[in-house]
Amino acid sequence: MRANGQERAADTGASIAGRGIKKVFGTGPSAHHALGPIDLDVKPGEFVSLIGPSGCGKSTTMLLVAGLEKTTEGKIEIDGVPLSAPLSEVGIVFQDHLLLEFRTAIRNVMLQQEIRRLDRQELRERADALFEKLGLTGAENRYPWQLSGGMRQRVSIARALVHQPSMLLMDEPFGALDAITRTQIRHDLEMLWLETRKTVLFITHSIEEAVGLSDRVLVMSDGPGKIVDEIHIDLPRPRPAHLGDYPDFAQYAQRVYTTFEKLGIYKFK
Amino acid sequence: MTGMLKRVYEPALWFAGLLIVWEVLVRAFDVQSFILPAPSVFLVRIFHDFDRLLLQGAITTKLILYGFVAGTIPGVVLGYLIASFRICERLLYPLVVFIQGLPKITLAPLLLVWFGFSDFPKILLTSLITFFPILVDSVAGFKSMDRRHYYLSRSMGASGWQTFWRFQLPSAAPNIFSGLKITIVIAVTVVIVVEWLNSNNGLGHVVLRAMDSHDTPLIFAVLVVASTIGVFLNYGIVVLENVLLPWRRGVEDNA
Repeated sequence: MRANGQERAADTGASIAGRGIKKVFGTGPSAHHALGPIDLDVKPGEFVSLIGPSGCGKSTTMLLVAGLEKTTEGKIEIDGVPLSAPLSEVGIVFQDHLLLEFRTAIRNVMLQQEIRRLDRQELRERADALFEKLGLTGAENRYPWQLSGGMRQRVSIARALVHQPSMLLMDEPFGALDAITRTQIRHDLEMLWLETRKTVLFITHSIEEAVGLSDRVLVMSDGPGKIVDEIHIDLPRPRPAHLGDYPDFAQYAQRVYTTFEKLGIYKFK
Repeated sequence: MTGMLKRVYEPALWFAGLLIVWEVLVRAFDVQSFILPAPSVFLVRIFHDFDRLLLQGAITTKLILYGFVAGTIPGVVLGYLIASFRICERLLYPLVVFIQGLPKITLAPLLLVWFGFSDFPKILLTSLITFFPILVDSVAGFKSMDRRHYYLSRSMGASGWQTFWRFQLPSAAPNIFSGLKITIVIAVTVVIVVEWLNSNNGLGHVVLRAMDSHDTPLIFAVLVVASTIGVFLNYGIVVLENVLLPWRRGVEDNA
């Protein structure tokens, strides 16, 4: 199952190395140049955010890394192995929880076990542990419609982690949640990540989320998508609910705002 | 529990009240039985002719179920193919739309000419008429699946078979069931109409004979039996839905 055939400790992540990645959807006059060419490098166990305006190709980048869409040009290597099929050692969380409405919370998570034919007992124990860490204990047998938006997204995170992937891909996972829930779930995700150190590619619109979670923030612009700035976030972990406690936070945030203003994404008078 | 009891006895009370008003009016204005029989007359008639109605009702029910199943299964299968494969959609859908516009009940005389005096043309017509609504609902159901669910299933390495059973079919099931609940009642109508045209048994045949002899109470008796069959078949599908799709229980929009 390992992408490179070697044993990797369960608590480390995969590396991503993308060179000249370009994506054009469609052909001929209706073709849409969505992304690139961009280079993308993520170290094993690194938490990297992609931030940028809507339609800048962030989600496309994620789908390309997951091997779910094919690059038009360029190549992507995961742990040094060129990507040619959908990446299997991965967990994906979308903005909508995308839980199956006909399965209970625990059975949504155990879907990974069923489809991947993993050990039932072991996966169930891991699912239970994740439920506890994510504050979902007691919600196991509820259907998605019986859960709050925040809890659904927590189940979705459990589903993305239960099979111990080496990489977590998150596409605006907290975008549909209210601000209070978002702050809590951000912290819970950070704690889980500190424990397992998976490689995370985190796509967001929120400067606070990007700076609050990441080791590194990549700022993107649109038409077609390009990486225009790279910011190393050097703040201690775990980071607090109120990021304003760090004087540096304001500087990091300011840098993203300034970039967006330079690009004409913000037009303040 | 009290809620459920209320759901049953409130409509029952209304219904009984309606029958009483009917009874009183018929008696008060001395309406003749062959024009409008009093409820007491045709309800007694059901008991009087119980064996016959039961036998003929069973014959009709058998045809309904055969036709319904014969229409439903290809409807769901073709619905899946049209929703999943672009080529099937391009080749089949225009044809489906065209045939759907045809009032299929008018095919009855043709089918009777072709297949004669047997159950086969009745089952065929019933299946044809149930097929199209089920097909349309299945296409809608299979297409309702979020594209990103396909991404998830592919990243899990799911086979086509796993994707079908664990993602697609359950996603389509609510649409399919709402189609089933509507078409089962249509199937009752179709079978009785075809029995009018060419039959020596079944409820449709009983109605026709009753009409010839101006036996209006018997017509009403058959109406009661036919609608009872329709209600029970519909209820059977609701029960099946609750068993197969337990997550739908309690979902507010569960019609």
